[in-house]
Amino acid sequence: MPDLPELNPVVHGRLRLALLSLLTSVEEAEFTWLRAKTEATDGNLGAQLFKLEEARYVVVKKKFVLRKPQTRYRITETGRRALTEYVQALKQLLGPAIDG
Amino acid sequence: MPNHVTEHELKDRLSLIESMIAEGRRNTESWGWTFVLWGVVYYLAIAWSAWNHSAWAWPVTILIGVIVTIVVASLKAGNHPRTTLGRAIGSIWIALGISMCLIFLALGLSGRLTDQHLFVAVISAILGMANGASALILRWKVQFACAVVWWVAAVATCFGTDEHSMIVFLVAIFLCQIVFGIYGAIAEARERKQRGPIHA
Repeated sequence: MPDLPELNPVVHGRLRLALLSLLTSVEEAEFTWLRAKTEATDGNLGAQLFKLEEARYVVVKKKFVLRKPQTRYRITETGRRALTEYVQALKQLLGPAIDG
Repeated sequence: MPNHVTEHELKDRLSLIESMIAEGRRNTESWGWTFVLWGVVYYLAIAWSAWNHSAWAWPVTILIGVIVTIVVASLKAGNHPRTTLGRAIGSIWIALGISMCLIFLALGLSGRLTDQHLFVAVISAILGMANGASALILRWKVQFACAVVWWVAAVATCFGTDEHSMIVFLVAIFLCQIVFGIYGAIAEARERKQRGPIHA
């Protein structure tokens, strides 16, 4: 029997997984857009993004646009790889149940 | 399967990934208004140059159009994410804006903006190229029809009288800028309305 893969705990968190999935489909996204898409609170969203940043899965860029501060996030290659590996592990764990 | 993770939870994670990727890919930008704006810009430039034959009519109106587009687009951009598709389409139109600004500024200042047939052919061909490239990327048949109208206008203006050339140009602007712009704006509004609230 083959060894079952471990799920990456950083990626597995529901909000962190949603954030990585959103960021993988865009070049970069602003904090308020991520908040609108996930419907998370500012505090929770900031905390989860910080964990992803600590794991080097996302990078943050702060700048001013029309005198308003903007915080933009971009997924890194490490983050993209972690998400791909997580999806592969999920599919392996679910096996035949994936279509059910 | 590990004991602490249920099959339901794993399936939930997989569907969450799929829905979030689809959400991120949704085009939330609206560009219908730019077509209408540029239709108005062309009409103003034509009216100004017909009124006093000023060499400045086209360069100045196009420059004002570029500035208005940049300001309004910046204000409308808000917190929309940057996507590769959006950047690809945007690049085509930015390059078109720069090309038109340079060529009409140079032709206007040098006093060589005199052959109406050549002028309409060049502007129509450039607009046909930009609409065609954008339509092929987006796989948007209606916009490709606009590109065909511009290409037909570019060829048709080479024949016939000055009057025919101007009529061809005015009709192409009306169809491909005003009508297409309003159609695009309505389609974008309808899509936003159908989408409804998003749940993570």
